[in-house]
Amino acid sequence: MPTTPPSGRPATRHDGAADAAAGGAARDDLRWRRVHPVTPLVRGWAVVVGALVVVGSQVADDVQSAADLAGRIDGLWWKVVLVLLLIVGIAFGYAALAWRMTAFAVDDDAVHLRKGVLFRQQRHARLDRLQAVDVRQPLLARLFGLAELRLEVAGGTDSAVAIGFLTDADAGHLRADLLARAAGIKAARAATPGTGPAPAPPAGDAAATPEGSAAEGAAPPGTAPGTEPSEAPEAPERTVYEVPPSRLLASLVRLPGLWLAVLLLAGLGVVVTVTRNVGILMSALPAVLGVGGYLFQRFAGEFGFRAALSPDGIRLRHGLLETRAQTIPPGRVQAVSLTQGPWWRGPDWWRVRVNVAGYGGGEGGNGESQNVLLPVGPRSEALTAVGLVLPDLDAGDLDTTLALLDEALVGDARTDRWFLTSPRRARLLDPWSWRRNGYAVTGRALLARGGRFVRRLEVVPHERTQSLGLEQGPWQRRRGLASVTLHSTPGPVMPTVQHMDADEAARLLAEQSVRARAARAHATPERWMEDPR
Amino acid sequence: MTSTPAGPPTARATGPFDPPGVEWQGVSPRLVRARLIPASVVLGVPVVAGAVLTALVSPWFWLLVGVPAALLLWTVVLVPRQVRAIGYAERDDDLLIRKGILFRSLVVVPYGRMQYVDVEAGPLDRNLGIASVQLHTASASTDADIPGLVPDEAERLRDRLSSRGEARLAGL
Repeated sequence: MPTTPPSGRPATRHDGAADAAAGGAARDDLRWRRVHPVTPLVRGWAVVVGALVVVGSQVADDVQSAADLAGRIDGLWWKVVLVLLLIVGIAFGYAALAWRMTAFAVDDDAVHLRKGVLFRQQRHARLDRLQAVDVRQPLLARLFGLAELRLEVAGGTDSAVAIGFLTDADAGHLRADLLARAAGIKAARAATPGTGPAPAPPAGDAAATPEGSAAEGAAPPGTAPGTEPSEAPEAPERTVYEVPPSRLLASLVRLPGLWLAVLLLAGLGVVVTVTRNVGILMSALPAVLGVGGYLFQRFAGEFGFRAALSPDGIRLRHGLLETRAQTIPPGRVQAVSLTQGPWWRGPDWWRVRVNVAGYGGGEGGNGESQNVLLPVGPRSEALTAVGLVLPDLDAGDLDTTLALLDEALVGDARTDRWFLTSPRRARLLDPWSWRRNGYAVTGRALLARGGRFVRRLEVVPHERTQSLGLEQGPWQRRRGLASVTLHSTPGPVMPTVQHMDADEAARLLAEQSVRARAARAHATPERWMEDPR
Repeated sequence: MTSTPAGPPTARATGPFDPPGVEWQGVSPRLVRARLIPASVVLGVPVVAGAVLTALVSPWFWLLVGVPAALLLWTVVLVPRQVRAIGYAERDDDLLIRKGILFRSLVVVPYGRMQYVDVEAGPLDRNLGIASVQLHTASASTDADIPGLVPDEAERLRDRLSSRGEARLAGL
């Protein structure tokens, strides 16, 4: 099965010899490719900076003794330089070894990645289980024009396959190729084998020889031109909405955290001027840093947010320093939530977040901003965002759907037409939002509503319900109430319907499990370009 | 009305936690012992220590005895009822698990959503001859754990769940 690389420049990355070095566990019918040689530098910079920060803070703490130390080692400076060189050399050698040991390959069904020097790891991710593809560019990688490709699969924490770093162009090609294969377009490509120059034989020969330099020199010139025609084209995309920086900034200014921090600082300023003790300012430092860090993270993570729609699914692009381009294929969003705090009510702004299996938060994903479908936007844009996930709610004609969504976002029991809400006797348990608690069901999804001050709406497609829970505490039982929970994959959206009438809750549980089962039978196939089964 | 008899199916329909037409299966009463033994060790040690100190040092140590003794008594009364309240039922397409007296919960897990099944038994459980079966879906919040099953029943359930899950498998 000669699989062709999507990259037009395999010259430095194509290696057959690494198979032999890896201990023979690798299959030789795969085209193993290497990541960009600058990778260890880009990955290791955080360590270097960390070490510098630690050393720097130590020196800053105790300038006098550092100067003493510098004076004492003055005569031995060349030894210090030697040791430093040695450390750098060892680090570089290890990095080079690690780079040599890292390789990836793609075939029709899976992506293979292997890495590690002492602890070897081989990872094999099935493409039909692909949940999302992210192209991540940390700041330093952007300077080098590099990007990391992250394939999210639903395997819990740290299950993503991170291929990096590649050049921008390579990452783009690889993503297009992976998405095409995951979509099930491969059949059309496999039918034209004439273009493929059969790269397997040279790789097989190279595996037998201990030194791979011959193969590396021999294979690429023949393969490079031949692979071009079979390359998957980038799917066209259409921009749906963008978040201008001014709106993002305004939305952050409206957050209460900022004002609390400002109040705190103002109060401290008064205290300092009265007591003339500047040391008090230091005590507020952690709180200010925390709030400032959070706000900056929100701003930097959601800067330049752009959402687009393509046949491959939803494309999201955002980031100020570290940029991230996400592709979420159709049917991969497990649940959507729309929230609006009181501070955003004036301009009627909403925040839309999603649950995607694999985005559960974890290393390498900057948790919060990865799950955002719309950082902040007016109601119409928020509804557009829901439309990206669920093009058709199946709630009747357009006017009905819009009226239903309006009711879902801002309505309550006094004006409800579709929503079934908590009975009046829930008042004691939930005095503020009992009129908001409720749910409505459309042909495609369940809408769960709640929250009076912080309004929230959760939309769960029927076929994405994992399991259902019914809960009742002692107070709820005395008042004949119960809450229903829809279990979704890990993420920010946790759909619940609070404090329903107990019999209604039981009915919802029974009916929802039937609806979910029926919807699953007609769900879109995992390879979304293939005809439904 | 809070406790349900174990074993024989209950005919009465009492509210939302008894869907109609569901025959609940209870778990083994040996689970009571499996839960009481660790509790009595943890709570019994301070009771004994307190009693000894009362006798040797000062009668004030009765206070040390009192609190854990009360907790122990409470546990002894509560655990059997809790165990009787655990029930599960296999329906055609999903598994129901019911738990709790004061805080009641009912979980519906469709077979097709099951990712894997765990069967676990600690040393005490093995000694008593019970095991627990836990179902995992793609959701971390699915709390579908059936404790206190006889090993044969646990294995039967595991195999049955696996085969049903395979027949109704539906991605994520």
